[in-house]
Amino acid sequence: MLTILLFILFGGMAVGCAVAVVAQRNPLYSAISLVGVFISLACLYMTLAAPFIAAVQIIVYAGAIMVLVVFVIMLLNVEEEAHRPLRLRYLVPIAVALAAILIAEAAFILTLRGGPERVDTTGVPASDVGLTASIGTGLFTEYLLPFEVTSVLILMALVGAITLARRTLAPASTPEPEFAGASEYVLGEDYASRPTGVIQPGDTEATGQAMARMHIKQEEEAMRAKHSTTGEEEGEG
Amino acid sequence: MEWLNETIGQAGVRGLGQLIGINIAFVAVMMVVAYTVLAERRVLAFIQGRLGPNRVGPGGILQPFADLLKFIFKEEITPTAATRFVFFLAPMIAVIAAFMPIIVYPFGPTINLPVVGEVSLVIARMDIGLLYVLGITSIGVYGIALAGWASNSKYSLMGALRASAQMISYELSLGLSLIGVVLLSGTLDLYSIVEQQSSWGGMKWNIFFQPLGFIIYLISAIAETNRVPFDLPEAETELVAGFHTEYSALKFALFFMAEYVNMFTVSMLATTLFLGGWNGPLVDKLPFLGVLYFFGKVFFFLFLYIWLRGTLPRFRFDQLMSFGWKFLLPFAILNVIVTATVAFFWF
Repeated sequence: MLTILLFILFGGMAVGCAVAVVAQRNPLYSAISLVGVFISLACLYMTLAAPFIAAVQIIVYAGAIMVLVVFVIMLLNVEEEAHRPLRLRYLVPIAVALAAILIAEAAFILTLRGGPERVDTTGVPASDVGLTASIGTGLFTEYLLPFEVTSVLILMALVGAITLARRTLAPASTPEPEFAGASEYVLGEDYASRPTGVIQPGDTEATGQAMARMHIKQEEEAMRAKHSTTGEEEGEG
Repeated sequence: MEWLNETIGQAGVRGLGQLIGINIAFVAVMMVVAYTVLAERRVLAFIQGRLGPNRVGPGGILQPFADLLKFIFKEEITPTAATRFVFFLAPMIAVIAAFMPIIVYPFGPTINLPVVGEVSLVIARMDIGLLYVLGITSIGVYGIALAGWASNSKYSLMGALRASAQMISYELSLGLSLIGVVLLSGTLDLYSIVEQQSSWGGMKWNIFFQPLGFIIYLISAIAETNRVPFDLPEAETELVAGFHTEYSALKFALFFMAEYVNMFTVSMLATTLFLGGWNGPLVDKLPFLGVLYFFGKVFFFLFLYIWLRGTLPRFRFDQLMSFGWKFLLPFAILNVIVTATVAFFWF
């Protein structure tokens, strides 16, 4: 009885949040609703005696992936979607028909083949299927190959993402060819003779830093010289 | 006890016990938070050669209640540009996520109470206790991220972005540093992990087997709770107050409370996993001593937090990131590999 009540509560929450994900116009609201879906699903797993899956659902999806999504939305400041007329209007009746068929199917199975209490649960020791130990044993014995293949797949995605990100960063360090003097890379050796802050084509970051260091040094020397002269004056007085 | 068992059944009695336990724990944690704040102010004052708040009550012990009253009577300000719903939602998420992990920590051994009989001093014993803690902690980031976004202010947004980046980065090292303990004890149930540390006269603490893991955990835990020296999300000199710049009155108090509850839970996790929880000398003869040991260890960590705040300056953001990713994370991975190898061949 309690299980069914909890199922209705969390199932309803999951469906409601899922509808909100699609219906919201603000991308951040959609993201928050998606977090709601994940949390309700985790609660459902909990009622199904699968605590490990529930925890992983929260840690991986709600705690890691969606945080990154929210982070990116905040960073890019994505605008709210404007109201637009529905383009694929002819799809609406088809969608309604498909939904009706699905609901009819579910109702048919539930009424003709017996309710949920008729589902055969014998032979499944429900108490330890979802436990951490049994999942670990399964993953590292029977399903070892799929597990390892999946990890290689994820590694490939990781490497791919890094390659894509590095490629956009790389050209910044290569010198622009059209500038005069761009060929000599260790440039700006003449920086000491230039006035403060004058940057020439082909200067590198190191040149700028060296220039800044030199000017700081010069100013310090000037200060020290000034201080020592005033000190002498005081001594005389 | 008998008639209760008959009327609402065994599950009902357990549920009732848990409900009572949750309420007691809630009040207790609130008190701990209130007095940690006071202790922080007094200890910081001592470190800096001042007196600190000592006017309200003898030695200032009523100061937290004066602060609370003031928080309640302050005006609630919502910025006009703020996204109202999320602005209200964020402190709630922060404080709920901070309080939720408290129920899984065992704070004492099984004791014999006069009326109730044998009671294990843990509110909820879960097969996945540790994962539950980590999961709820990772939800806590939303409170901060959404607060910064909803305030619609540049300082809040910068603080929130810093906080989320920092928490995501240090969560990795934090999780990896705990794997060593899990490998040694072979369970995620916090109660069993504590029980396994009870041999050697209550001194077989995991810290002796996992010193590197303990240090990594301690550092990442300080970063996770946004405390000095990792308090960049709230760096006053750059960001006013970070993600809670626009919050006032009780909503600000909720964030404040969430931070201290997080400190408390993080200290409890360190105690449970590395310092043997309620274990210590003579606990098997005097079970009540275990509660004292547990809270003594937790308060030691809380004092450590305050001590660090009085001692260390703040990191720069690039230092924070390179320290987390290039130093802490490799050592955490190394710790996992070494522990796994040792556990595989010698245990």
